[in-house]
Amino acid sequence: MRRILVLWALLALVGLGLAQKTTLTVAVFPNLDDSLKAQIPLFNKKYPDVEIKLVIQQYADHHNALTTALATGQGLPDVAAIEIGFVGRFAEGQGFEDLNKAPFNAGQFKRLFTPYTVAQATSADGRFIGMPVDIGPGTFFYRTDILQKAGVDPRTMITWPGYIAAGRKIKSTTGSFLIADAADVAWINIFATTPANNSPYFDEKGNVVVDSPRFVRAFELAKNIRAAGLDARIGSWTNEWYDAFKKGTVATQFSGAWLQGHLQNWMAPETKGLWRVQQLPEGMYASWGGSFYGIPTASKNKALAWEFIKFVTTSEEAQIAGFKAIGAFPALLAAQNDPAFNQPVEFLGGQQARLLWRDAARRVKPLKANKYDRVAYEILGTALSQVLDEGKEIQAALAEAKRLIERRMR
Amino acid sequence: MRKSMASNRLQPDVGFNFWMRWSNFQRRYAPYIFISPFFVLFLVFGLYPSLFSLYMSFQSWTPSDGWGRWKFVGLENYTFTFTDPMFWRSFWNTLWLGVFSGVPQHLIAIPLAFVIHMVLSRFKTFVTAVYFLPYITSSVAIALIFNTLFATHNGVINLVIAQLNTWPLLGALLPDQNINWFTSANIKYALAVVVVWQFTGWNTLLYLSAIQAIPKDLYEAAAVDGASRWQQFRYITLPLLRPMMFFAVSLTIIGNMQLFEQPFVLLNGGASTATPGGQTVTMYMYRTAFEWLEMGTAASIAWILFVFIGILTYLNNLAFGRAARGGD
Amino acid sequence: MVSPKRSSILGLLPRLGGYALLVLGGVLTIAPFYFMFVFATHQRSEIFGFPPPLWFGEHFWSNYQILLQKIPFWRAYWNTFYLAFMITITTLFFCSLAGFGFAMYNFRWREPLFAVVLATLLIPAILNLIPFYLLIYQIGWINTPKALWVPAMAGAVGIFMMRQYIVSAIPRELVDAARIDGCSEFQIYWRIVLPLVRPALGTLGLITFIGAWNKFADVNVIMRTQETKTLPVVLRTLQGATDVEWGAIMAGTALLVAPLLLVFALAARQLMEGLTSGAVKN
Repeated sequence: MRRILVLWALLALVGLGLAQKTTLTVAVFPNLDDSLKAQIPLFNKKYPDVEIKLVIQQYADHHNALTTALATGQGLPDVAAIEIGFVGRFAEGQGFEDLNKAPFNAGQFKRLFTPYTVAQATSADGRFIGMPVDIGPGTFFYRTDILQKAGVDPRTMITWPGYIAAGRKIKSTTGSFLIADAADVAWINIFATTPANNSPYFDEKGNVVVDSPRFVRAFELAKNIRAAGLDARIGSWTNEWYDAFKKGTVATQFSGAWLQGHLQNWMAPETKGLWRVQQLPEGMYASWGGSFYGIPTASKNKALAWEFIKFVTTSEEAQIAGFKAIGAFPALLAAQNDPAFNQPVEFLGGQQARLLWRDAARRVKPLKANKYDRVAYEILGTALSQVLDEGKEIQAALAEAKRLIERRMR
Repeated sequence: MRKSMASNRLQPDVGFNFWMRWSNFQRRYAPYIFISPFFVLFLVFGLYPSLFSLYMSFQSWTPSDGWGRWKFVGLENYTFTFTDPMFWRSFWNTLWLGVFSGVPQHLIAIPLAFVIHMVLSRFKTFVTAVYFLPYITSSVAIALIFNTLFATHNGVINLVIAQLNTWPLLGALLPDQNINWFTSANIKYALAVVVVWQFTGWNTLLYLSAIQAIPKDLYEAAAVDGASRWQQFRYITLPLLRPMMFFAVSLTIIGNMQLFEQPFVLLNGGASTATPGGQTVTMYMYRTAFEWLEMGTAASIAWILFVFIGILTYLNNLAFGRAARGGD
Repeated sequence: MVSPKRSSILGLLPRLGGYALLVLGGVLTIAPFYFMFVFATHQRSEIFGFPPPLWFGEHFWSNYQILLQKIPFWRAYWNTFYLAFMITITTLFFCSLAGFGFAMYNFRWREPLFAVVLATLLIPAILNLIPFYLLIYQIGWINTPKALWVPAMAGAVGIFMMRQYIVSAIPRELVDAARIDGCSEFQIYWRIVLPLVRPALGTLGLITFIGAWNKFADVNVIMRTQETKTLPVVLRTLQGATDVEWGAIMAGTALLVAPLLLVFALAARQLMEGLTSGAVKN
């Protein structure tokens, strides 16, 4: 009997110990969760009593759930990851804390980050809603083995006509496609040609600019590639896409630097050493992706949430841990000077790719987020697929996209 | 409420006897009390939201504005929807899917039920149960399974097509290359296959129950007259199935016009490249409400679809209904 | 029922054709289930490799581990069961009660009220998704299970089924006799009617449970956290934009579908017969 009592007492003590642990809910989309899994142990060294609970949902689901949760004030996490495409949406409205204000006073940290990211997370009325955690300098991946077999020098691909010419050669000699989806050529052009302090789809005054010449050219390039039969017509983030990377049925890909982490960790680990990167054609620099952490106004644990965000975004240690885990390029400038950046990337055949990306990141022009970025992105994506898959006229498709975006802005 | 019918069954008033009065009360109102839960729930969770959405379809509101802070916009939501190319695209998608995933269900189910009825005796229930399995399975599970089966490279369905391709006659009809089912152009076919697979068994069950109700002596008399199996099917079974066809087709129309879960999962929640070609009206409505938070516009889409379903059901009634009500 | 016997070879041919057709259709119907179970035991690289696996592999356990790691699997399983259980139990009670009311009493407006019940079947469910969500939002039930089972306590299908069964299975004299013995109306329902309608309750319970188990659209909008979502909704979130573990998804799907297949295997006869006889009366 006494033993049982002792056991109960022990259990109660353990229970108390558990109860004292504070739980912090962090909602993210993949593969930020993998990066966090490397960072949380480091955070727990400083805050052993904090238990981090991850809520992981796929990219679009995560942001849509966040949208609905903010609208109803129900089911919000303490910390929420926000991808660049959605920052504009969440900057509007009062769903997220303005980190400029006390007690956060994030102003002191802003100079620590890659400059363009701060502008992205700042709303029209000057509120700062998310600390940048990683950035996505746009980059040009190519399969060196396929290019060699085709006798193509990657340096000839640094103009768009040269890129397409090389594609023809690759297709005729090796049978590999130039790229999985011609649409990605359009996107990288759209992102790269965005003027400073604009959103990709809106000018400084918020007018829709998707029918301007830079969009026409981006669409034309994609259409030419499709017309020449150089793309595999495989949509991004599908099983076919991963398969194409694995099997080497595509020779190049445009994306954020973070794609290297995906390729290396799970998409195509067996292609290690076969990939290389170079800067985008024609001296372009683009931001493709990037994530932020914000605190929903409804969070019940803002002080701790802020400690967590500060740790993940401003400590070199955490930023490097995340970088090593998934290749998410740190937004923190100090982390970019880490010796890890000089290390050769084995997946890329020992190339010092991180230096190249750092260079690109520093040349990207500051972007402005717009509330309707995501809507514009989706409508433009539909227009692009109409042009590529259904043969719609580019001018007509873009004019229609512009009209549709403007309608949604009513 | 007037007390007429039940009052003559009242026993002489015993006045202060509470239990007597209670007894009379419960006897009189019991049926109303028994059926009331349905009506309370329907009023609160069915009728009220419907009427509220009708009201909402004339307002502009996004939930983050706060409850009650909507703005009257008249017919703006309706004019917006009717002039919205994305709505019309999803509308035609839905209509296409309605036909190509609806008609085959019945074209397969009717002969299938007939064959089951004619050929099987001991295993009838077993075979019907096998065909019925997809109907009891979660649409999400089904869509996830087919997501793997429809994979372009090495997907089971494409491999089977490639295999059939080597057969002499069929080969000419089938494409040589692997089909990428998840493009805007092809996703509809994949969706139709999924829906047909899921609901054919249900319709088979409906038709089988109707066939079983057909008196056997009709067939026997026809057989004596020398009618073949085909003639029996054509001249006895089919005409007598019309009431059930009306019922089953009505269910198919109502179901197919609001297809949601299958396209939602196969299109990865609206985040896929196939979205324009496979987006149904209900999916578009869902995205309008929960992605763009335009509740008023979403409500107008719901009501437009509701009226359209009503029209289709009415047309179906014209086509089959007279027989269903006992014409023939 | 036995179909007419034909002894001639000519009569045998269409019969064999019929068998072949049935087997082919059966295989097509079963195949996706088979592949679900097979894929549940393989890794993604095998599922999308050449040739795709046709027989069971050895990775079910690791798929299951991934499942536990990526989602609160058993929590979601419990949520699914809880929801289905609550809906089933309340439906059985309220629908049999209302069915009894419609079947055994003559009262004013009985016919029009019953017509209203049937008419609600024609309202397309998903069209009410948004106003339903708004109502739940208005009364503050977002993210609570009761928002999903309270509205589903007394469906029209169940009332219709129970009424049909009670009309055919319970003689009015029995009810009248109980009344003379001093039973209250509710006691008549509870002591006399309920025990007699068990077969119909079984069928209704099965179809209600299956429907509730598979709920998706409304759970998806009402439940806002991983802890409150049901398995179909949580499984779908695994179908992510990155690194989709298809083996694990198939394992989860198999575990979602398996209990229903099992219940169905045990009760198929009753369910099939319950449904067909109901449809005939309709």
